[in-house]
Amino acid sequence: MLPASLDEAVDALAAAPAAVPVAGATDLMEAVNAGRLRPAALVGLGRITELRGWRYEDGGTAVLGAGLTHARMDRPDFAALIPALADAARTAGPPQVRNVGTLGGNIVTAAPAGDTLPVLTALEATVTLARSGGTREVPVSHLLTGLDPVRPGELLTWVRVPLLHAPQVFLKATGRSGPARATASVALVLDPARRAVRCAVGAVAPVPLRPLEAEAWVAGCIDWDGSREIDPVATAAFGEYVAAACVPDNYGAEGAWEAVTEGPTAAAVRLRRTVSVLARRALGRALK
Amino acid sequence: MTSPTDIGAALQQDGGEGGAPEPFGLGSSPLRSDALPKALGIYPYAADLWAEGLLWGAVLRSPHPHARIRGIDTSAALALPGVHAVVTAADLPPGPDGLPDGAPAGPIVADRPVLAAGVVRHHGEPVAAVAADHPDTARLAVGLIAVDYEPLEAVTDPEQSFTAPPLHPDGNLFRHLPLRTGDPDAVGEIVVEGLYQVGRQDPAPLGAEAGLAVPRPDGGVELHLSSTDPHGDRDRTATCLGLEPDRVRLVATGVPGATTDREDLSFQVTLALLALRTGRPVKMTLTREESFHTHTSRHPALLRYRHHADAEGTLVKVEAQILLDGGAYADVSAEALAAATAFSVGPYVCPNVFVDAWAVRTNNPPAGRMRGEGALQTCFAYESQLDQLAARVGVDPVEIRRRNAMATGDPLPTGQAVTCPAPVKALLDAVAAEPLPALPVDDPDAEWLLPGGPGGAGDPAAVRRGIGYAVGMVHMLGAEGEDEVSTATVRVSGDHATVICAAVDAGQGFATLARQIVQTVLGVSEVYIAPADSDQSIAGPSARGRHTWVSGGAVERAALMVRHQLLQPIAANFGMSVELLQIADGKITSYDGVLGMPVAEALEGKELWATAQCRPHPTEPLDESGHGDAFVSISFCAMRAVVDVDIELGAVRVVEMTVAQDVGRALNPRQIEDRIEAGVAQGVGLALMEDLQTSGGVLLNPSLTGYRLPTSLDTPEVRIAALLEERDVVATFGAKAVSAVPAVVAPAAVAAAVRAATGLPVGRLPIRAEDAVTV
Repeated sequence: MLPASLDEAVDALAAAPAAVPVAGATDLMEAVNAGRLRPAALVGLGRITELRGWRYEDGGTAVLGAGLTHARMDRPDFAALIPALADAARTAGPPQVRNVGTLGGNIVTAAPAGDTLPVLTALEATVTLARSGGTREVPVSHLLTGLDPVRPGELLTWVRVPLLHAPQVFLKATGRSGPARATASVALVLDPARRAVRCAVGAVAPVPLRPLEAEAWVAGCIDWDGSREIDPVATAAFGEYVAAACVPDNYGAEGAWEAVTEGPTAAAVRLRRTVSVLARRALGRALK
Repeated sequence: MTSPTDIGAALQQDGGEGGAPEPFGLGSSPLRSDALPKALGIYPYAADLWAEGLLWGAVLRSPHPHARIRGIDTSAALALPGVHAVVTAADLPPGPDGLPDGAPAGPIVADRPVLAAGVVRHHGEPVAAVAADHPDTARLAVGLIAVDYEPLEAVTDPEQSFTAPPLHPDGNLFRHLPLRTGDPDAVGEIVVEGLYQVGRQDPAPLGAEAGLAVPRPDGGVELHLSSTDPHGDRDRTATCLGLEPDRVRLVATGVPGATTDREDLSFQVTLALLALRTGRPVKMTLTREESFHTHTSRHPALLRYRHHADAEGTLVKVEAQILLDGGAYADVSAEALAAATAFSVGPYVCPNVFVDAWAVRTNNPPAGRMRGEGALQTCFAYESQLDQLAARVGVDPVEIRRRNAMATGDPLPTGQAVTCPAPVKALLDAVAAEPLPALPVDDPDAEWLLPGGPGGAGDPAAVRRGIGYAVGMVHMLGAEGEDEVSTATVRVSGDHATVICAAVDAGQGFATLARQIVQTVLGVSEVYIAPADSDQSIAGPSARGRHTWVSGGAVERAALMVRHQLLQPIAANFGMSVELLQIADGKITSYDGVLGMPVAEALEGKELWATAQCRPHPTEPLDESGHGDAFVSISFCAMRAVVDVDIELGAVRVVEMTVAQDVGRALNPRQIEDRIEAGVAQGVGLALMEDLQTSGGVLLNPSLTGYRLPTSLDTPEVRIAALLEERDVVATFGAKAVSAVPAVVAPAAVAAAVRAATGLPVGRLPIRAEDAVTV
């Protein structure tokens, strides 16, 4: 099925709730080829041009189409709008993947190392789920954690992101210089209007994690009215704080849910070091 | 509409007409004949093969690294509509005791069953196969085969293999090779020790295994595969199927480039068996995951070294223990172990050498041939030891190597004298003399690619630069008494020549080279290289850098015989001997200039043929104390690596590799540079990222997302400092093989550079992020 408009698409999904919507297919076809997924039908979203762009809404919000490709998000006009999302899109994969892979696809695939996910989590983005005859808004974190999942017949159409007009950073650690899956990533955004720092750590857990206490603490260390300076010691402490909050002591251990008595595992120490360096550098860059 | 083939041909013609004249003969650099089709995407790979009415094959693989098979129920799979055949070990010829044994085969020892019989010994081992009329049906049918496994304890630590119960009737020890040379009681003033570990590198060929089998009316089978050893693969396939070798024909098709033995025996025998069983053509293409399961990887190694030296750093004694994890089946482990042992000291002179080396069986994926097998693992260890020694003596790393460097005539620890050129010092001096790349602070305008890549997390304040040196060696051709032989036929008809030789061009450029040889000897510019198949006479595998020497030698001899046939009547006409005539610039001229006849004219209306063989001088096996003249020749290479390390994140980027290599004679300089770049890329991959991980014998990352290959951003600038042309008098044209030795040396050089940047004792390859973090 190749609907030409959003309405046609949701109608098609309502008629065949088992059908799978497909945009860039970079994750979907891999699963099909590997035999993990055998969709009863596909609803191709490629012709719905309205989903491939974005618009502005009152109240300083950008409404991004789910069909925005990573390559499009990396372009300068978009990067000026939401820099961290552009950074994440730029490092998300090789050009072939970024040319077709979409924002919506990245969200519904919800891979632990999905690069846009920590950014959307830190931005406290919400998504619009459309179904035949109505829509509903769900915070992206509720969707990712499964608190409020996509229901049969629903299509992810829009992503609402607040425009903060302040520095934001996305950093990821990988095993090579070329595009690769993140071993850990950190998204950090400043929200001067609310005098808040929001941070999310990706790839260390099934969903991006928010170190809320560390955020609140570091927001208090920043001189918001002046030059937004911060003591380097506080930046370093923030890194440690984030890492300790997001990586449990028993990370990587067998029977990870059992209580650990002997302190953090070696894997936890290594991952904390990486997360801490990323968070420290992210804050440093945001406040520079 | 223009077909892609027309576009390719048009492009080729444009290149020929518009640019300089086509390079001609040895020493020039013509383009590879398959370069353009591969770049344009019109080259037919084995996965593109098609036959009318073909069936699709699929393989069932073991989910366990070690298990007993209590029973296999194929009835549900056979009942599926569209399924034509399901085969298991019971369908192969039975073993000596009359029971199915899976028709074990292998390059040295026949111990690896085509389909597991009774026991599976590694994760992904083939158990059964299906032929069906659609690939999805075949895969579904594979899922319907019910195998009753009784999981057994997997032996995955090679050190445990010695004491573990035997995993195979042949036992757990593939080979123990002791090397005892000199005085065991010698001690040096300075002693350095180290423990080194090398992970599992996979060849990860971008073209996954694919092939087509077509049954023949005479009860035989024709296999179209990207084989790199048509005759060896044909013979082994025939043995496994219980057929006469002549009934099996193997056509090398669509080789995507190989750095190892390309085909896995189980794959091709299964394919042939399905075709014979169904009487229809059968095609099989493996998925990426299956490809990781099926082909052999590099031997993971554990190496313990102790170097004794005097106060000046001159080596007194080297003691080592080397353990190679051969995985579940023998493959070429014995040969890799011989290289590891014989080159355990490296290109250095040391009077006293005591080594014990073992290759053992485990339930890990089988290891096999891969550029510089055995030699690579020890190169990392001995070069790391030399760096330690340099630090202890207080001289720089180049100087310690110069002091100990081997020269022509010096003995290997095996007692064999190195009679080929061994310009180790000259290579070291060449790389050391090259200017270093500019530091970012000196060149502020250039964009600095930080470790972690563009848009990555790199922070210039945390980046340290390191420089490391390494020298290494690798042998060429089969070792320890293996019969090396190749046959080639050269035919000249009118204005063009044809070379018929079963040597497969797996990317090493043999087809280009054969063309250059015939051009030089016969003065004919149009040379056609016939595709390789096993009905031609034997040329042997594309491995160990042998085709330039062995098949190149055969082509040269055949061309010389044709030349003699061509010149004899002309010489007789002029009353002079053939030796006084020469062919140059498309003309036959006599020594005194009286005769000047175009080659085309002399050839007119003639059809000349000749077939010749080349067989280098024989070698002998290493004896019980590790001595013997086991190698035909050795090539050497020196490298300098410059790396940037983010010491907080442990990210490493190789900025530049400077290479000086001993090539004997540069027959095609551009092709040599390409091969060096390829070797460096593979070596950098092993040094920094390529690691096929297992947990309890189960493969963890059999995908190109999980198994990281170097991208263009990870591959450094390769600067060729020198291609030293000191002819190896016994080799064809005096040329040495060039592909393997850069891959052997690059990992050691990168490790040395990371050590220099971080001050950490890098003892493991690949270097993980946590191994390069200093804070």
